[in-house]
Amino acid sequence: MDEAAWILVAGWVAAILRSATPLLFVTLGETLSQRVGIINLGIEGEMLAGACFGFAVAATTGSPTLGLLAGGGAGLLLSSVHAGLCVGLGANQFGSGLAVWMIGLGITSFFGRSFVGAQVDAAGSIGGSWLEGMPVLAQLLDNLSWTAPLAFLTIAVAAAMLYRTRPGLAWRTVGEAPDAARAAGLSVARIQVSGVLVAGFLAGLGGAVLSVDYTQTWAQEMTKGRGLVAVGLVIVARWNPWLVPPVVLAFGAAEAAVLRLQAGGLEVSSHLLAILPYVVALAVVIAAYIFSHRDGGMPQGLKGVFAARS
Amino acid sequence: MRVIGQSQQAERALTALLSAFAFILVAMGFFAFIGEPPFQTLLAMVTYAVGDSYSLSESLVKTTPILFCALAAIIPARLGLISVGAEGQLYIGALVGTFVMLLAVPYGGWLLMPGILIGGAVGGAIWGWLPGVLRARFQVNETITTLLLNYIAVLLVSAAVYGPWKDLANLGWPATIAFPDASVLPFMFGTRVHAGLLIAVVAALSLQVLFRYSRWGQGLDVLKGNARVGRMMGLDFQRQAIIVMAFGGVFAGLAGITEASAIQGRLQPGISVGYGLTGFLVAWLAGHNALLAIPVSFLIGGLIAAGDTLQLFNKIPASSAIVLQGLLFATALAVPGLIRLWRARRG
Repeated sequence: MDEAAWILVAGWVAAILRSATPLLFVTLGETLSQRVGIINLGIEGEMLAGACFGFAVAATTGSPTLGLLAGGGAGLLLSSVHAGLCVGLGANQFGSGLAVWMIGLGITSFFGRSFVGAQVDAAGSIGGSWLEGMPVLAQLLDNLSWTAPLAFLTIAVAAAMLYRTRPGLAWRTVGEAPDAARAAGLSVARIQVSGVLVAGFLAGLGGAVLSVDYTQTWAQEMTKGRGLVAVGLVIVARWNPWLVPPVVLAFGAAEAAVLRLQAGGLEVSSHLLAILPYVVALAVVIAAYIFSHRDGGMPQGLKGVFAARS
Repeated sequence: MRVIGQSQQAERALTALLSAFAFILVAMGFFAFIGEPPFQTLLAMVTYAVGDSYSLSESLVKTTPILFCALAAIIPARLGLISVGAEGQLYIGALVGTFVMLLAVPYGGWLLMPGILIGGAVGGAIWGWLPGVLRARFQVNETITTLLLNYIAVLLVSAAVYGPWKDLANLGWPATIAFPDASVLPFMFGTRVHAGLLIAVVAALSLQVLFRYSRWGQGLDVLKGNARVGRMMGLDFQRQAIIVMAFGGVFAGLAGITEASAIQGRLQPGISVGYGLTGFLVAWLAGHNALLAIPVSFLIGGLIAAGDTLQLFNKIPASSAIVLQGLLFATALAVPGLIRLWRARRG
């Protein structure tokens, strides 16, 4: 391939990375939560809260960094409801997640109205003049902010912590065998609460990356089920943080392709094109179930959640 | 069939009472948080929900789709399945029912009304059948598939009404032609309350009888309790999973087509304001009891109707009703756990 073609590819990769970055954070969060045995459907509401309050803070202070932090904080705050209900009071995890989703949806619609149409600055680009003479790399990095590398760094740190450290071992034990963990003197409740709160922070951060850095707008219900898609992608990634990037990027490629097709003036309803990401998510979840001996990789503690239904 | 002892019934009543009390406190806390006078606002909501015949009728208008969607969650729950797919089934029901209307309009006649209702029921059933099959054949978790299918259904309706089905007479507004009068269910008492409410209530009562007294209902109880015992008794979990999901979808589909034909008058985006999720909440609060779902649907219908009026007169955004629903759900989940903790502490 000649350089022009490579520049085209670099532009493509940048587009995919940008659209996938919010979902990288959210999917990592849900993975960690499920690794300690707590499934969290409320991640949709937490992502929405992060998108709304992150955008509000970024618009008010003019600082995207503060906005992203505030988004993470909002997600963490909302996830404490889930932690309190599931871990503290032993409530059903599906029910609690949906309650948290409803609260997030309602609160962001309620308080977000005054920020519709506000302006924010995106997080800074990681490109710059130092890339002169390297047009391919420039095309890639000029179009990326520091949130994308931060997402990969966070995933690497989380994976290393989960598989290589003592606290990580404790988290995995709690997810796989809560009774054994308790017998070994681990505080199951404390570790599960930590997992849910970390997931909440990451979901809120992902939501803020979406509104502050990617779309640079806030709109009611703007996450449009991305949090729920993340819950599905966790299954596809076999509850393994290392597998989160390939799975999410494949999904992001589908989403970016939709945008490209739309921009290319394809004569198909934009609403039909918008269905594609959900169809892809559904298809990969089904494929994951069919081709991986059902629950392969699922933390043992979670199986009780799926089996004990009421 | 399970027999509920008297002490267990008293226990449930106590939990419900404490939950209601806790929710009132939480709701007043929310009003205080948004800078509204807590007690007055709460009182205003009650007045807006049931204060006069108009408010009452608007609450009943909201009750209809909520009760239908609650049934769509309750039926799968009898087998232990957690379906959150009523919203999507509602949209596909409206889509298929409208398709029947568009096909049949030139012929008119008395078949139009039953035709669109059957179309709605079939549409909802298809959108329930799909996750049912995925669950039965491949053990794919139905909660996740139904949640994703919801978004697809909403977009399919948008694609239809922005595209081929758009009535050009609407001057760019994305909606189909109006449902002809012959296709619309009769209205009651000169209000917007349509006969769909009667269908929903009769369905809830019939389902209650089916669950309690039919072999099918008892079979579901056995399968939910222990699939292995059920198999020894010749019951087939896979088959029943498909049946309950599709059967539940029928009712959400009816919610969709009656909303489109009788309330909105045409198919357009936004025919549901989250009725599917609200129905799931109702199903949960009613303990998956079809009979109890009737009054609970009315309570939540009143809450949503009052939220609309609150926006009109008190300038409080109607999304406050969504926050309150979420808080109600959280409260109802928290109270049993709090009671348990309190008892454990007392020894």
